[in-house]
Amino acid sequence: MTAPDSTILIDDVPVSFKPGQTILEAALEAGVFIPHLCFHPELGAHGSCRLCNVIVNGRNISACTMKAASGQEIEVDTWLGESAQAYRRTLVQMLFVEGNHFCPSCEKSGNCQLQALGYDSEMMTPHFVEFFPNRPVDASHPDVLLDLNRCIQCELCVRASRDVDGKSIFALAGRGMASRLRPTLAPPIGEVSEGEG
Amino acid sequence: VRIQQVLEDCGAGDVVAVQISGPSGVCLTPDEFRRQIAFEDVPTSGAFMVFGKDRDVFNVARNFAHFFAHESCGFCTPCRVGTALIRDALDKIADGRGSRYEINELMRLADLLKRTSHCGLGQTAGNPIRDTLLKFRPAYERRLIRGDFDPAVDLDAALARAREISGRDDADAHVDTHIGAKA
Repeated sequence: MTAPDSTILIDDVPVSFKPGQTILEAALEAGVFIPHLCFHPELGAHGSCRLCNVIVNGRNISACTMKAASGQEIEVDTWLGESAQAYRRTLVQMLFVEGNHFCPSCEKSGNCQLQALGYDSEMMTPHFVEFFPNRPVDASHPDVLLDLNRCIQCELCVRASRDVDGKSIFALAGRGMASRLRPTLAPPIGEVSEGEG
Repeated sequence: VRIQQVLEDCGAGDVVAVQISGPSGVCLTPDEFRRQIAFEDVPTSGAFMVFGKDRDVFNVARNFAHFFAHESCGFCTPCRVGTALIRDALDKIADGRGSRYEINELMRLADLLKRTSHCGLGQTAGNPIRDTLLKFRPAYERRLIRGDFDPAVDLDAALARAREISGRDDADAHVDTHIGAKA
């Protein structure tokens, strides 16, 4: 009996995977870069940023949530033969215009995955009209200072607090463009004043 | 059952469009009314919207766009931001400040949402825009300025405060915002 074939083809390059690994995990382990923001090796997949979208056997799917399986043919740089860069750039631009991202004055500049993907996708402008949301800094708590201006709602902090610390001090509240990260130690819904959140 | 049959049975006359399966379904024109409601042809969730000749299909699409921007849960990037961008682009066209640029952007966004959204809501949120753009182009085009581009910022309105301060309101203190219209 032959060993089960445990390789996938990523942009025509064979990449081996371990059972249970997602396409993104297998790719990163093999040194093949697939753009991603909401995935973190220690916190796993979330599937919300959509940057790791790839074509698997002809269909769009996020590489962070799709388990690797033998025989998969995956397109990262092209989608059905067409360059995927413009799509990824648009997603990055969406994240930029949705929040308040001023790279030159941001302390994370130079060590920022969002900025890095901006360069990676050759983003030259925000392209869309900026939403310039009003996101006041919340420094009301002694231990937590919450600046949501750079928040891209990847929920990494939510998952780190919940899954690593076991504290669940953050959660996303609200819907659509109005959804915001909230500290769960804030007053429960109902005690929040009108127009907030 | 053919679309035409349903329309006849309910006595609908002067129909310009039928929307099947709700906002994220398909928009059909009268020359498609011979098509059949069936999984293999026009699948339906049971929703059957009829738009008469007094309806403006652009406003229908714009209403759908507002609906999706409101319905988006905000989990994934393309749907959360994309439905808002589509809504704003249609609002700009409704304001009489849209150009060919917005039309191209709408098609591009509809495509991105379909390919990259996490769930079916985002994947289909661009359908009514794409369908009406392809089938009811004049409803959009008669609202467009003739130029290729008009800034999203209303330049003339942005100068209102300056005019107020300087006490001027003559022609030279105004910007012709429809720069493209001169061409």
